[in-house]
Amino acid sequence: MLTAEDISISFGGVPALQGVSVTLERGQIRGVIGPNGSGKSTLFNCLTGFIRPDTGTVAIDGRDISTAAPHERITLGIGRTFQTPRFDPKADVWQALACGFYPATARSITASALRLPSARRAERRVETGVGELLERFNLTAQADQPVGELPLGTVRLVEVARAMATSPGFLLLDEPAAGLTEDEQQLLAGQITALAQADIGVLLVEHNFDLVVGLSDEITVLANGTCLVEGLPGDVAADSRVRSVYLGLDAEEAVDGERERQVWADDDPARD
Amino acid sequence: MPEVLQRLAARQTTALLLILGVAVYTVFFAAVPARLDLSISTAVYALLALSVALIYGQAGVLSVAQAGFAAVGAYATAILTTRWDIPPLISLFAAILLPALLGFLLSRVVGSLSHLSLAVATLVFGEIVTIVLREGGTLTGGYVGLSGIPGLAFAPDLLAYHLLAWGVVIVVVILCSNLITTTRGRAYQTIGHDPLRAEADGINVPKSTALLFGCSAGLAGLAGWLYAHYMTFLAPESLPASLSITVVLMVVVGGRRHIAGAIVGTILLVALQNAMPTEESQGLLYGAVLVLVLIAAPDGLVGLVNWWRDRRRRAARPIIPEPTAQEV
Repeated sequence: MLTAEDISISFGGVPALQGVSVTLERGQIRGVIGPNGSGKSTLFNCLTGFIRPDTGTVAIDGRDISTAAPHERITLGIGRTFQTPRFDPKADVWQALACGFYPATARSITASALRLPSARRAERRVETGVGELLERFNLTAQADQPVGELPLGTVRLVEVARAMATSPGFLLLDEPAAGLTEDEQQLLAGQITALAQADIGVLLVEHNFDLVVGLSDEITVLANGTCLVEGLPGDVAADSRVRSVYLGLDAEEAVDGERERQVWADDDPARD
Repeated sequence: MPEVLQRLAARQTTALLLILGVAVYTVFFAAVPARLDLSISTAVYALLALSVALIYGQAGVLSVAQAGFAAVGAYATAILTTRWDIPPLISLFAAILLPALLGFLLSRVVGSLSHLSLAVATLVFGEIVTIVLREGGTLTGGYVGLSGIPGLAFAPDLLAYHLLAWGVVIVVVILCSNLITTTRGRAYQTIGHDPLRAEADGINVPKSTALLFGCSAGLAGLAGWLYAHYMTFLAPESLPASLSITVVLMVVVGGRRHIAGAIVGTILLVALQNAMPTEESQGLLYGAVLVLVLIAAPDGLVGLVNWWRDRRRRAARPIIPEPTAQEV
């Protein structure tokens, strides 16, 4: 179980997160939603170690990993993707996936340069590993295509596959559906469900309300750096506070809601 | 041809072509001292260029200190062989390890700087090396430098030294080509492209970069060792900071992402340099070649050749559907 407990952090005196806790169990899909500036990305970065919170702890199965650097958390079993896919556009899909095998198959510079037996064995492991990933994510046909020439939906799949190379227990996806077409979203949703069935805990930080409600086992709603609601998708979608903050439907807070919606609409990638 | 050999040949194309080239050159110019002399200094340049191709071409860290590391290696072997009569083959270790250690430490100290600041820091480091060598008193010979560095007993004449120098280059090319096609090498390519992405692959970026920087500096030290025992004389300005910039140019012109780029760039610029009448016109030449290449082939000459080959190969394949505007 991946847990973040009582996370607080402020940037230049402005609190970004105040006492937020979130848990992710293996085989579970948890959605984290909230309007822009609610602290979703900050929470994501605290979990992956790219930001160190002021207070609070992050732990895997009770083991405190709060002080572990980002690259150490990868080897501890937390895979991640980036909101804007980061990849070398000239590298092909095979190479992109091969990079994901670093923790298991990197040998020393000397062993690699001399191509010692250990390095040769490691390369064979990479080859079989990449082959399996390509098949699992239906990417075999694109294996030798440069990532920069693929549609965004396929690039996201490649990113997910690359994060899966280390066989992480937990996979954190930063806005995986942003900019995808309806069909691509469906394809990605299918893959995410398959990952959860393979006993991987998936954390979805997403803008797309419908996708999160459709996929998640549980949803955490953030607002202004605090946890507003936590619960089952149906309950969350029906919650008046969520509707107020997120969808701006509450009559009493019509003015605030309208502003929220405006901010929201400006930031909605689907409308770009 | 068995698959293993095919893969080997594909990986080591550069080394194979280089062996062929050196063989042809040797057959033609074995009896021409001036040509052999030119070839030996080209090999020293090539080693320095390869050291840049490793750290800049792979990990994206622009080092303008390579001549400084070469000077450290050259002085290390010169001091050990002239003052303590240590055999050159033993002092070779010092000539590689001392700059490697300095490179590792330098990278750990300045590694977190932005690209440009880092390049400036390495340039300053190179200048500091020159100053230390000049002010080093009797140990480094001060302004006068060190003379009477022994030659290599196993490479007594020009022809043998030419073969030795290029033999070293070929071994280094083989090792580099091995490295860049492994997980470790791909990790460096990821660091060079995007350090944040590399972190997400589980790579300890500062430590990995410092280790490669150490290797690159050690390689420059090896070039210095070859230089010192060939020239048998060293002065603080023998391996000046401007040489660091020249070898970076060679790598950029040849194509920094490719091991072959370092070799192609070195040979091209040395050939052009020799065709120029005066030394003053060299600056003009370097500037002109660099601008031309950056405009016509940002990935260098080898990059241009590869792009051409890929395009022809792709033309023979079914067309990939273009992503629609919505997808982009």
